[in-house]
Amino acid sequence: MSVAVTLWRRSLNEVLRVRGALLPATVAPVVFMLGITGQFGRLTGLEGFPTDSYLSWIVPLSCLQGAGFAGAATGSNLARDIEQGWFDRLLVAPVPRPLLVVGPILGAVTRSLVPATVVLLVGFALGAELTGGVAGLLALYFACAAFCATAALWGIFMAVTFRTQQAGPLMQQGVFLAVFLSTAYTPAVLLRGWLAEAAELNPITHVLEMARQATVTGIEPSLAHTYPGILALLGLAAVLGALAMAGLSRMGR
Amino acid sequence: MNAAVEVHQLVREFKGGIRAVDGLDLEVRDGEIYGFLGPNGAGKTTVVRILTTLLRPTAGHARVAGHDVVGEGDAVRRAIGVALQEAAIDPLMTGRELLRMQGALHGLRGGEARERAAALLERVGLTEAADRRVGGYSGGMRRRLDLALALVHRPHVLFLDEPTTGLDPTSRAALWREVRALHEDGTTVFLTTQYLEEAEQLADRVGIIARGKLVAEGTPESLKARVGEPTVHVEISDPQRGRRACEALAGLGAVERPTERAPTRIGVRTAAGRAAIAPIVRALDEAGVAVEFVEVESPTLDDVFMAVTGSHLEGAATA
Amino acid sequence: MREARVVGALGRRALSVQFRRAQLLMPTFVLPLVLLAVIASGTSAGQGLRGFPDVESYLTFVLAGTIVQGTILAGLTAGIAMASDIEFGFFDRLLAAPVRRTSLVLGRLAGTLSLSLLQTSFFLVVASLFGARFPGSVTGVLGAIALAAITAVAMGAVSAAIAIRTGSLSLLQSLFPFMFVMLFTAPAFFPQDLLVPVLRDVSAFNPLTYVVEGVRGLLAGDDAVGAPWAGFVSAVGLALAGIAIATAALGQRLRRL
Repeated sequence: MSVAVTLWRRSLNEVLRVRGALLPATVAPVVFMLGITGQFGRLTGLEGFPTDSYLSWIVPLSCLQGAGFAGAATGSNLARDIEQGWFDRLLVAPVPRPLLVVGPILGAVTRSLVPATVVLLVGFALGAELTGGVAGLLALYFACAAFCATAALWGIFMAVTFRTQQAGPLMQQGVFLAVFLSTAYTPAVLLRGWLAEAAELNPITHVLEMARQATVTGIEPSLAHTYPGILALLGLAAVLGALAMAGLSRMGR
Repeated sequence: MNAAVEVHQLVREFKGGIRAVDGLDLEVRDGEIYGFLGPNGAGKTTVVRILTTLLRPTAGHARVAGHDVVGEGDAVRRAIGVALQEAAIDPLMTGRELLRMQGALHGLRGGEARERAAALLERVGLTEAADRRVGGYSGGMRRRLDLALALVHRPHVLFLDEPTTGLDPTSRAALWREVRALHEDGTTVFLTTQYLEEAEQLADRVGIIARGKLVAEGTPESLKARVGEPTVHVEISDPQRGRRACEALAGLGAVERPTERAPTRIGVRTAAGRAAIAPIVRALDEAGVAVEFVEVESPTLDDVFMAVTGSHLEGAATA
Repeated sequence: MREARVVGALGRRALSVQFRRAQLLMPTFVLPLVLLAVIASGTSAGQGLRGFPDVESYLTFVLAGTIVQGTILAGLTAGIAMASDIEFGFFDRLLAAPVRRTSLVLGRLAGTLSLSLLQTSFFLVVASLFGARFPGSVTGVLGAIALAAITAVAMGAVSAAIAIRTGSLSLLQSLFPFMFVMLFTAPAFFPQDLLVPVLRDVSAFNPLTYVVEGVRGLLAGDDAVGAPWAGFVSAVGLALAGIAIATAALGQRLRRL
């Protein structure tokens, strides 16, 4: 585990030793949150919208978006390390391969807490509602951390498959599609056409519903909006983790 | 003879009062290869960037191909070719595309630029790789392409800033051949290098720069002659014959007697250098002294640098 | 003529390199369309809001925002490419060549103009395959493409100015969210009257508001939807100002040499 901790610390160097490194990853979700709210805020006037505050509706989406891109960045960083030869140094070390990526994933999860917290603070300052209390916040942070880890596994899978930084956009697009092909802008009852079907099939829709317990629905005593999200994350992590590990085991052979 | 490059009291100061160039005077004659030698941080690249109009001097004047680098920048740029320290190429373009683009920047029309590109690719041995992206070229190939780019418009003066740094011996030798060929064509070459062998092999004259100033200038031979004559070292087989050997060699040059640490090694310092080997061996043979080994040690440009500045030139042994 | 050839050569280079890296293609061609698909499908219920204009196609309505988004991305790409040239030394090669300094900026923007023409045409073709309608017919479509191209030149000039001033690739890459502020403070994806009040007020001062509405008006063939002349005036004004800023930045950089 000391290997994982060492690599976790190294992945934090990327943001602690590079001035302003966290800024774009933090500013982007805030800009999108405010911009999307400004554009579509009046949608809450439609019948069936579960809240009067579009900001409250969008805050969890922005938190997940920031967490997802932080996870995808793990893949970009790994692709860079592979291209520049640094990862070879790790591959020749007597360390089980899965441990080589545990550290960077932990680093991504740690980093993802920053944009999520900033989005929440800005959102609450501008009037978003904390309907789910502390439990709701915990659900939101758990959703962000777990989604970040899942996105990191996706990024790692892409990195070990393509072994080039040029796969970076693929990693980001994957996260983007996962987040936005869901009940991102409007609830399911107001979706039309192909997006309604896509959102129904997309496991991230359940993760978003779990996160929205913080600012929209509140926590259900039956946890009916919590379990599906957890199961979705576990399922995605299992599949993407298996793909990432398979790719990792093929490296250097 | 006309001067291709004239520099008078050139100064370049950076933030913090750092004087990278500190009152430099030099002149490069038309058609010669001028080697500009100095350690890292001596100011070589700064001088090149001023002469190629990429940097302005803080004080002093410089003229290239008869034009002032500050007031007549455009005329200077028309007359020069430049291959900078870092091969400035776009990795996403092919070699052929880069050459054609460079041709267009120098006013060559479509067909002319295409023909010139093809000719240069052949000259530097990159025809086969011409339509591959430069990002996949080896270091040696990039340097050759960089040289070709600098020659597109047949420049009057060619600036090469450490052109062989990081290259393997084969690539280095290929580049040296190309520089000699350019010299034969009459191109003036201003070559900066930190490799002694490169300066000695290629340059008609060498200028040595240290801390922004020119500290020595001349042909490689004249510079080395300043610091001393070559020494012929002889290893004799019997240390008991040392005195007899020294007496036999007395008339052939200044004799360096054996020491306690090297009881069989005798040196003869003489301007004749290698030419003195035969007389020395003959003299020892006539004196009945058996010789094991003979070698000649000549002063190097590093010795020149040492004599002038009191320290060694970095990279003196690494070329 | 010589300088025109130089600008052409640099523009060709700028455009060809764009298509040789997936990292550069995705943001400029794919991302805006993905966002368009999500927004068009995800917010179309908004047509039921009181005050939403009567539009033939919601997809066409939102497409105008996508086209302007594309101009911002094409412009930012120009700045990133310029910063990359400066950081990795290729810009020195261009500076050491006997070309007018303004040609170095105009050449880059010629590439951006060409990219925008291709990009906007691509967006229009894809949108039409998914049901977008253009009552403004060929004139309107060509007008929208031209308006977008001028706007892209403006965005490119601004980001080139930042690149020349800072020479920092990482700074340019981090500008992405900030450029989107310009998009979101315009009625890019929703009518101006239905934006939240603060944004509605701010949008009146955003030149991109008039560009978006100009594109809408051209595609709809109806000035009441959006005035094309206002869009062109804004775009041309932005472009001229941007080119002036970029040229001044280059002059300053050269004086600092």
